Formats: sequence, structure tokens, C-alpha cells
Amino acid sequence: MAQWQELQSLANTSLEQVHQLYSSVALPMEVRQCLADWIEDQNWRQAAEPHSSHAQMLFHSLLALLGDHLGSPGLGDEDFMLKHNLRKARRDLQAAFEECPEKFANLVANLLQEEQQILRLAQAGQQGGVAPAPSTPQQSDRQQEIQRRLADFQAALQDADRAFRHLEDAQDMFDFCYKVHYLPGENRTNDPEYIRQMQGLQAKLQKLDRSRKDVLAQMQQLLGRSETLQDFLQQELGAWRERQQSACLGAHVDTSLLQLETWFTALGEGLFQLLQLLRALGDLRHKVTYERDPLQAELPLLETRLRELLTYLLQNAFVVELQPSMPTSSKRPLVLRTASKFSVRARLLVRLHDRSRRLEAKIHIDRKPPEIRGFRKFNILTSNSKTLVAGDSPQDGLVCDFQHLTLKEQKVGGSGKGSKSPGEGPLAVTEELHLITFTLAYAYRGLELELETSTLPVIIISNNNQLSSAWASILWFNMLSTDPKNQQFFVAPPSAPWPRLAEVLSWQFESVAERGLSKEHLHMLAEKLFGSKPSPESTLAWPKFSKDSTSGFSFWAWLDGILGLLQEHLKQLWKDGLILGFVSRKQEKKLLKGKRTGTFLIRFSESTLGGVTCTWVEHPESGSPAFRAVVPYTASELASLALPDIIHDYQLLAEENIPENPLQFLYPDRARDEAFGPYYSQRQAGSLMEKKEYLNQRLIRVSSRQANESRQADEELVAATQDLQTLQLQPSGPGPLQPMPCSPGTLQLVPGGPEPPLALQVGSGVPELLQPGPGAVEPQLVLQLVPEGQGMLQVGPRSLGTLQMLPRSLEMLQPVPGVQEMQQVGPGDQGTLQAEPGAVEPQLVLQLVPEGQGMLQVGPSSLGTLQVLPRSLEMLQPVPGVQGMQQVGPGDQGTLQLGPGTLEPSVALQLIPEGQGTVQVGPGSLEPLQPLLESLEALEPVTEELDMQEFLQSLSEEPEPGSGVLETLQAAELMPSTLEAGDSRLERLSPRPARECQQPWGGTAGPLLGLTRCVPQAAPHSWTTATRSCPRPTTQPCPP
Amino acid sequence: MGQGSGRQERSKKLELATSETMQAEADVQNDKEETRETKNRHEQLRLVFGMADLKNKAIGLYNIGQTCCLNSLLQVFLMNTHFTGILRRITVPPSASQKRRSVPYQMLLLLEMMQCGKQKAVSPSALAYCLSEHRVKLFVQYDAAQLLLTLWNLVKRQVTNAELIEKLSDLYTIWVQEYMVCQECSFETKRNSNMITLPLSMLDSRSHLLKTLEQCLQHFFFPEKLTGCNMCFCENCGKKTPFLQSMKLAHLPQTLILHLKRFYLTESSSIQKLCHYLPFPQGLDFNAVLTEEQCQADAGEKASWQYELFAVVAHSGSTDCGHYCAYVRSLTECKWYCFDDSEVCQVLWDDVKCTYGHSDLHWGQTAYLLVYMKKNPQ
Repeated sequence: MAQWQELQSLANTSLEQVHQLYSSVALPMEVRQCLADWIEDQNWRQAAEPHSSHAQMLFHSLLALLGDHLGSPGLGDEDFMLKHNLRKARRDLQAAFEECPEKFANLVANLLQEEQQILRLAQAGQQGGVAPAPSTPQQSDRQQEIQRRLADFQAALQDADRAFRHLEDAQDMFDFCYKVHYLPGENRTNDPEYIRQMQGLQAKLQKLDRSRKDVLAQMQQLLGRSETLQDFLQQELGAWRERQQSACLGAHVDTSLLQLETWFTALGEGLFQLLQLLRALGDLRHKVTYERDPLQAELPLLETRLRELLTYLLQNAFVVELQPSMPTSSKRPLVLRTASKFSVRARLLVRLHDRSRRLEAKIHIDRKPPEIRGFRKFNILTSNSKTLVAGDSPQDGLVCDFQHLTLKEQKVGGSGKGSKSPGEGPLAVTEELHLITFTLAYAYRGLELELETSTLPVIIISNNNQLSSAWASILWFNMLSTDPKNQQFFVAPPSAPWPRLAEVLSWQFESVAERGLSKEHLHMLAEKLFGSKPSPESTLAWPKFSKDSTSGFSFWAWLDGILGLLQEHLKQLWKDGLILGFVSRKQEKKLLKGKRTGTFLIRFSESTLGGVTCTWVEHPESGSPAFRAVVPYTASELASLALPDIIHDYQLLAEENIPENPLQFLYPDRARDEAFGPYYSQRQAGSLMEKKEYLNQRLIRVSSRQANESRQADEELVAATQDLQTLQLQPSGPGPLQPMPCSPGTLQLVPGGPEPPLALQVGSGVPELLQPGPGAVEPQLVLQLVPEGQGMLQVGPRSLGTLQMLPRSLEMLQPVPGVQEMQQVGPGDQGTLQAEPGAVEPQLVLQLVPEGQGMLQVGPSSLGTLQVLPRSLEMLQPVPGVQGMQQVGPGDQGTLQLGPGTLEPSVALQLIPEGQGTVQVGPGSLEPLQPLLESLEALEPVTEELDMQEFLQSLSEEPEPGSGVLETLQAAELMPSTLEAGDSRLERLSPRPARECQQPWGGTAGPLLGLTRCVPQAAPHSWTTATRSCPRPTTQPCPP
Repeated sequence: MGQGSGRQERSKKLELATSETMQAEADVQNDKEETRETKNRHEQLRLVFGMADLKNKAIGLYNIGQTCCLNSLLQVFLMNTHFTGILRRITVPPSASQKRRSVPYQMLLLLEMMQCGKQKAVSPSALAYCLSEHRVKLFVQYDAAQLLLTLWNLVKRQVTNAELIEKLSDLYTIWVQEYMVCQECSFETKRNSNMITLPLSMLDSRSHLLKTLEQCLQHFFFPEKLTGCNMCFCENCGKKTPFLQSMKLAHLPQTLILHLKRFYLTESSSIQKLCHYLPFPQGLDFNAVLTEEQCQADAGEKASWQYELFAVVAHSGSTDCGHYCAYVRSLTECKWYCFDDSEVCQVLWDDVKCTYGHSDLHWGQTAYLLVYMKKNPQ
């Protein structure tokens, strides 16, 4: 925009300055206004030189233009005053400067300079004023400086361009005069006219020379300033690279390139313009040259310098905008798996290119592989070149987006299955850094370059289980490496200063669960790493971070376990700050000591990989406060029951008390339900009012503790048999369990260690055997026994295998809460109950109603519903449909075996009651089975798997298929009589708070599938387990 | 007055006049007569132009033929108020030819032109012409450090007033004590010597690049063993022996010039420029840079060794062709200016920092001479 127009659009304070400027100046504002464009387009500076004919010419042109203006019809009567003023101004100017036009030129030159000054100040002020506005992000001083300098640079470029045009004019004029007047052939040295002309010619040449030098000086100055500008951009780009690196590590920072792209493009454009100017100057030299032509000496120098600057700018402008990452783990970029797709994007920040040429970028991996023994080599399988696309809109930029790239390892000498054999190289696979490089052949306006840029080093793994440690390496590298291309980094990895590490660790939590680590958290971690007195100068060595494993796992593995747990199950709680998380035991005591009984906090287990636990405080009447914590819950437990629900329903069976929830107040003093209320899963409130066939089940957690309680309250399973004999399990201890023999019932618990199957057996006829699983990490099955009414045994987990047993008669149930946390349940007869809850997607409801009119119902609420209604003590073996086998061995002492499928919910249950019982089998989702067994005779024990399948199929072809999940349990249709009984029981049951006896079941991360086989009565039960990872329900049972 | 000074030579040949005649002699007289008038006009102009032009004492110098080096050095001299204070007191040579030949006088005239001028640049042709009479030719590229010494010597030689000579020396001369210790008999010789610039090598004794200006200074004052062919004759031993040569800093002047020897001799004995990054500070405290042993000065002297950067003469290009420009911090305004011959613009410290050098840019600007100014002149 023209300077004068810009000036007029300024704020009032600046306008005031303009008025002041013109109040005393010899050039009236009217004239300035009237001839604004012309005035701004002249080279007054040059004209201001002493004895300049240019000044004379300019001055007279101005007067003439003013005259034209006065005579133009555009000025009507209303401009009478203006006309008058202009006429007066013309007269005054003529009088004042007729003799010394160069003074006038100087005056105008200074005036324009002054105006520029005002403009610049005002614009800087405006920018300062605009910056705090919400729409524009805060700009740093440097960014403002860049903006200002870019504007200055462009203005200076225009000046230079103008100077060049004047130079061109001057040269043309000289050239013309020279050709006309210079006649060396004739001897006219005595002709005074000729001599005068020669002198004039000489003067013109002198002037031309000065103009050339002037323009060159301007170019020098411009180049000098652009070097500074380039320096600033370089710093900004460096800052962006750092931000990108941080963002890769999970920090929330702005990694937009838009601003940088604008700047780089502007500077690039300016420099290319300058290059053109230099070439045009070169052309001028070709037309007219003379001895000691400054263009001859300085132009090549200037051009070399400019080309170098441009090259440098372009080289830096080629960046990797998106670092390589796999879509499946986008939060952990730079870790690539062979044969998995990944994408990466490069961008040229200087948005200038020759539209007639293709800009082709190539991608390479490990262009210059480091000299490390055993360094793996990879090929990029997909096409390795791509054309840089410039979108039609200028915002799109020059981008090459490589997607769907895959890597394949080059097989070297037979070895190389992705992982290398030990001792092959000094670096582990997850410490091997690879570089992906882009090259781009760039050509624009006669400048041809090969640009190159590299990604941050990537780690290439062949298996998902390497992801965690690969990520640790990425963290370490990007946190500490000073050279972003140092592939030898892990040959001697440096130690990490704690403050830096703390920041990066915090980002991990921020990126996973949107909340970083607090000062307290970090303090605890520092204490854990560095001992009691961590200092900011502490540093952590790489092996100590990722490799040393005194506790069975490294620091990083532990932390990553927690991250995994957060991501899967505790995101919201963590985000909302309900999890205190990293609290040392010492600190935990300090925190809870002063709080009232029932105050609890949630923290991560230090001894378990990916475990979370609650610790609460109790203040006994005398003595010091006691702190208790439950065995940590891991992902597998939380998968079945969310932590808020665990907390809500948590029960502690203390010998002297009725079961109660010890978790009352979240530290520091928030009521439990107030804190966790929003997170409780939806209850089916009011369901008791409706006529429902079954009670809603709900899974809760219970712990019991001994009189001489240890610090950690163990969760226990208590089951009772008909004979009031008690079983007690203490599966949590690593040591042997205490089997409490009781007569006819057997309770068998095989809590999972890392991945053993779980089994529960209740009530076998033989002397009881209690078998806790050796791992016994965290048993988390809840067994609820609600003895009531007419002997109904209900085993029904709400989500993960809850068992409810309703023994036949009330008398038979003798809850003895006081003594050693036992529950006694008397089912109608002796039976064996075997249940295998699935670990990952446990959806078994088991309802057993044995005996007499008793109903045995086994049915998961959603998937795999079981309903077993045996008439008497028959042995029941419900087997999930997937495995498709079932065996029922009738006998006196019935056995019930349940094995719900873990991940495959198409549980088909087969029941073959011996007596007149009704059997209902209702699998959950896919195969609604409704066995209607009218007579006992119709059924025979099925022992063969195939037979069973046939049986199942036959069942599924029954005319009354259940349509949905819960609907399958429409027992009313099937068993009207039982329903009535059930209803009455329901009514009786409902108001009564269930006395619960609970059985924690083991189970950790691995998905478990229980498969039950036929168990001959009273025999030692055999178990088969299998792991299923496919969550897809199958309709067709398939034999294992 | 500026406008009267640069009348062009009437040359009959069609080639560029090597210099322009100057009517300075006459003008000086006019100057005095016109002083009052000038003052008035200044007032007027101040009103007319605001403060921009007249307050801006930074005036460019036209390049009149490879004079970028001279121009840069002149700016460094003439922007130094300590120097111009002395220059203004010189006695005007009596005859016109003496005036024409007097470097300090011509410098003074140039200064006057620059200070009175309303133009963005003036031509140093008279001075250049004067210098050419002292074998400093036009149209020849000079090394800035070398030309600086030449200029300095010419000025000092041609100033007649003894007091001013003294002051000039004080302003620029660095005093050191040189020690030579024979490594065989511990015979020690000591002598005082002075210099105008500290020529700092960019490479250490093992030809590794030095990283900062401070390191260069430390290396400069680090004792050096003279062995092999460098052995010196020891009077005591009566033969050539290895010597330990060391230098101790005795006195630093008001204006301290450091010469960064940004070049090295390649194996093919061509001279290459060193473009690597070498930062220099705005404030320089010699007490922090040098150790006790490297100084030979009393506490008062040492206390005054606090310097602030005043000017940078930067070079761009290669050793055989290039361009000089000067960054000078105006002592009155405390603003940095960049002088590219006739182009002058106000810059920031960031622009000056661009002369640190850059290993990727071989043609960019690199600082060649650094001029530091004592912080609190007594």
C-alpha cells in the first residue's frame, strides 16, 4: 500500500505526529496528498546529491504536475479552497527552491523517511496491542521481531528495486548520449562544444558509477539484514524441532508449521527476488561497462553470497513434518514394526517451485548406516518416491505424504528373524536407531539443489512385545541426544538428569490420561530411584531406567505397566485427580495418620506390575492407627469390575464385626460416594419392584482379616457347605493355604497366578480339598451366598462370575460372621460346583437351584447364560458352547461344572438332569438354547463331544428360541412352576440385604478360558484350559 | 559545508575519474564565517525534519573504488568520540599542499562533512586522495587490520602536537611484558612492548578451532615453548636453547582493538578463510578471562579492565575478494548502526551477532576486527 495511504489509516496519536511533521515543513500537505504516488516513486535521496541535475528535473516535474492538477476538471467548485491552497503552495515552492532544487529534494527525502519512521513505530505499537487479543496466540519478542524485519526486508527490497530502475534509466540516458556525442574518430579536441559535451558525458558516467555503487551497497546491506533474518528463522525452526521432539514424547505443544512456512516463504521469495535483481544488474553491466566497473568486481561476490544463503535457507526449509508412526500406536511414534504400515510426511517450508517441473522426493532408510556390528538392514517395500504436491490453495504447501510404507528386514546369512541372536551386535534390537531420509531435487529460477532431511531416529521391532522397551529407548534418545542423527547413541547412552526425566515421565501420563505428574508424585519416584534424598542434580543411568530389575521388572516396565492400567481402566479417575497414585508407604502413613477412620487413598502398587490398590486408616480405641491395603488390582480384575464399583461395594469381613465397607472417605476428606458417585456403573434400581425372574447380581469385593491382622488384608473366599462346615481360603499368600476340611462340600480354588485357570468347586462328596493356586497373585472372584427360603442356590456373577447360592432352607444356612469369616451355606445336597470364570470378558451368571423343587440356574447375564435346573442331586456339567462338550454323570452326588467361555461368549450350556427336573439352558448372545426336557428319560448323559454338538443343535432348533441376551432367561415360559416359586422367593429375598460370602478369584492380565470336562463323580477333577484371544462370538461349537 | 565539497574533476578521458578534487581549503574558511548561519539553519531543519536526520549522526561514506575497507575503518575512528575529541584539537597545517597531504586534517574535514551534512552519505574522496599520496592506493583491496595500522601510523606521525600524540597513544596502545625464559639455565629476559591490536589466533597450538573469544584471548596469553627451529640464542648458555615465551598484560587502553585472525595457511600455502562460529561478548572483563600470572598490573589498572563492545569490522567473501562493513555502536545514542559504504541502517545486537560466523556459510559476514571500549573512562 502506498505510504501516504497507510499513514492516513493510522491511529490518532500517530496522525498527530504526521500533523506536527507537516505543520512546519515547507511542503504543504495538500501537495503531498495531491501527488502522493508520484512523490513516493521518485528517488529524492539521489536527487539530493550536490549539483544533481536530477533534483532540478524532479522539482520542475513537481511544479508541472501541480499545474496540471490545478487545470484538471476533476477539481470542482467545492474544491475551490484546495485549488487556492495548491496554487499558493506552487508559488511558494517555486520562490523558495527555484535556486536550490537539491535542497528541496533533500527535504522531501527526509520527509518521507520521517513518515516511514512514524509508520514503523505505529505498526510496532499496533502489533504489541494486537498480540494479547485472544484470537492470536502470544507472540514472543523474536516472533514480533521477525515480522517486523520481514516487513522491513520487503520494503528495502522495493527500495532496491526502485533504485535499480532509476539506475536503468540513468544508464539508458548515458548510453544514448554516449552514442550520440562520443565520436572518437574525429579530431574535435579543439571544438569547445565537443569538449563541453564530453565533460557532460563524463559527469553522467560519474553519476552512473555512483548509482551503481549505491545500489550495490544497498544489496550488501540487504544481504546483511537477511542473514540476521535467516538467523532468527533458524532459531524459530530450532525451537519448532524441539517442540516436535517433545510432542513425540507426549508433551502438549503446538507443532504447527504454518507460521514458519509463511516466514520461510516470504524470505525465500525476497531472496529469489534479490537474485533476479542481481542478474538484472549483471545485464546492465553487459550493456555498459567501463574501467573499474563496481558491478564487475562485486556482483559475482554478491551472487555467490546470495546463492549460499538461499541454499542454506532451502536446506533448512525441508523438514519432516510428521515423524514416522504406525497408525496403531500413534501416541508412540518413531517405533515401527516390520510388515506393519506406517506413515511419514515431509514438507518444504519455502512454498516456491517451478510449476512446470515435478518435484520428486525420495525416501531412503539408513542412507549412511553407522558402523555397528550386527546393525540390521531394512528395505522399504513400497514405492520410494513421491511427487511433492502443491495444493491449489497456498495454504496447502509443498508436502509429500508417504503412507502405507512397510519395512522388511534384509536377510543376512540366514539369520534375521527380526530379532537377532544374542551376541550378534553390541546393541539390542530396541536400541538400534535407524534413520529415514528424504531427498528432494529442487529447482527454481536457475537454482538447482538436492535437499535432504531426516526423521528422528526410529526403532524397528518385529513384535509388539518389544514396543514398551523400544519406547523407552525413544524417550531416552529424544530426551538426551544432542545430535538428532546420532545412530550410535546407545553405544554409550548418557545418564538423564532427574528434572528432565521427570518432565518427560510426566508427559507420558499427560498423553495417556490427560494429567501429568504432580510434584509429590515426582518426589516419590525420585525417592524410589535415588534413595531417600533425591536432589535436582541426580542423574539416572540408562540401564537403571530400562534394564535393572531387582524387583522382577525394571523401573520403566513398572511405570509402563501403570500407564497401561491407566489407559485401559483408570483414565477418568486419574484425570480427575482421584488417584493419588505415587505415594510411598511412608508417605502414605503420614498422610493418613491424621485422618479419621475410613479415610483411604488410591495408589499404584510398587510390587506388582500394573497394579492399583486402596489403603485406608483405622484408629483403634487404643494404640496407634492401623493402615490396611488390599492386594493390588490389575487390569484383569478391573476389566470385570471398575475401580469405583470395587470401592463402592468393597466389604471387609472382620471377625468381630458384620461386614462393612472400610472405605469411607477419599483422602483428604471427601465422602466416598461424593467422590466416586459419578463413576459408579449404572445400577438397576427399582428392579426389585418389578416382577423379575431373577435377582440382579452384582459383583463386589470383599476382604476378610484375621484377628492378628497383617498389614495387608487378604481377600478370601469363604464358602459353606450344607453341613455348616467351613472352608476358608487364603489365596493371597504365596505360601501354602490352609485347607479347612469340611465334610461333604469341597471348595476348590485355583486362583490365577499370571495365567493359570481358575476353578471353583463346591460341594463334592469327598473330604474337602482346598487348592489354592500357587501364584495367588490377586484372587478376585466374588462368591455370594445368599441362603434363603426354599433352598435356592444361585450363582450368578454380574459381570465376572459371581456366585450366589441360595440354599434350600433357612435353617441350613448359618452365617457365622464372627468366627474366622466363614459363611456356611447348606445346599440341598452334596454337589460339586465347578466354575471357571473367564478372565477377560467374564460374563457368567450361574444360578444353581438344586434340590427338590429347587432350581439350579446357571446363567450369565449377558453372554453365556446358564440355567440349570436339576431335579435332584444330579451331576451337572454345564460347559460353554465353544468347546461344545458336556458330560453329565448322574449319580447321588451331583457335580456341577461350569466353564464359561472367556472371550467367546457363545456359551451353550447343556443340562441333563436325571430326575424330573426342568433344565433350562440359556446361552447368552448367539445361541439361545432352550432345552425343554419334559422327561428324564429323554435325556441321556452325553459323553461325546460330537454328540453334544448335535445335542446343542437340536436344542437350538427348538421352536422357542430366546431372542436376546437377557430374554433368554425367560424362565416363565419354560418353567412356570419354578417361576412361581422363584417369585415368592424373590419377594422374600429382596428386602433382605444379602449376607455375602465372597470368594476372590485369581486372574491376571492374560485372557483365560476355562474348559470343563466331564468329571466323574467324586473324582479328582481334571481341568483343561485354553487361551482364546478372539472376542468374536462363535455360533458353531468347535471341538478343541 | 557538505554541498560545496565534492565538485567533480573535469576529466577529458572517458573513464572514471580516480578522485574528485576538493575545495576543502576554501571551505574551511567559509565554515567559520557561516557558523552562525548554519546553527540557525540547523534549528530550522530540526523543526522541519523532526529529529530523524540530524540527530542521526550515522552518515554513510560513498565507495569511491574498493574503499569499503577504508570506509569501515573510518567509521570506526570517526564514531569514536574519544578519537574525534583529539582530532578536533589538531593544528591546521599552514599551506594548502600540506593540508592536502595531512591525513588527520583530511579526516577532520570528512568528519565535519559528515556531521553537518543532511545527506545520507558523503564522499571520502579527499581523504582517499590524500592517502594515495602516502602509498595507500585506491582501487586496491586492503586487509582491514593492515590498513588500520597504516592509518593509525599516518595519523600519529602527522599530528604535530606532542600532547595529542600522547593522548592518541593512550587511547589505543596496549602494553605487554614479554618474558623469555631459557629452559636450560632459567635465564630470563624481559621487555616491554606495545601494540595497537591484539592479533588473536583462531586455532590453538594443535590447530583445533577455538570456540570463543575468551578462549582466543587465553590462548594468546598462554606461554609458548620455542623448540626446534624456533630455539633462541641464550646469552647465558652461549648457544641456541629452547625457550619459554610468555606474555603478561600490563596495560589496556581506552579503545581496545582485537584482531581475529580468521585465516589459515593451507598445505598448498594458499590462504583460506575460517568461517566457523566464534561468539564474542558485548561486555568483556579481562580479569575474568586472564589468570593472575598472565597479568602484570596493579589493582587500579586491573579494575579498569571492563570493556564493552563498540564496533565490529566484518568481512564477507573469501580471502582474495570480499566486502567489508562496519557495525558501530554510537556512543552518544547507544544504538548500533551498520555501515555498508553509503548505506547506513540502524540495527540491533542480533544483527551484530550475525558476524559470529557460521560454518555452513562461507561467504557470509564474519567479524574481523573487534573494537572494545572501556566501560568507565577515568
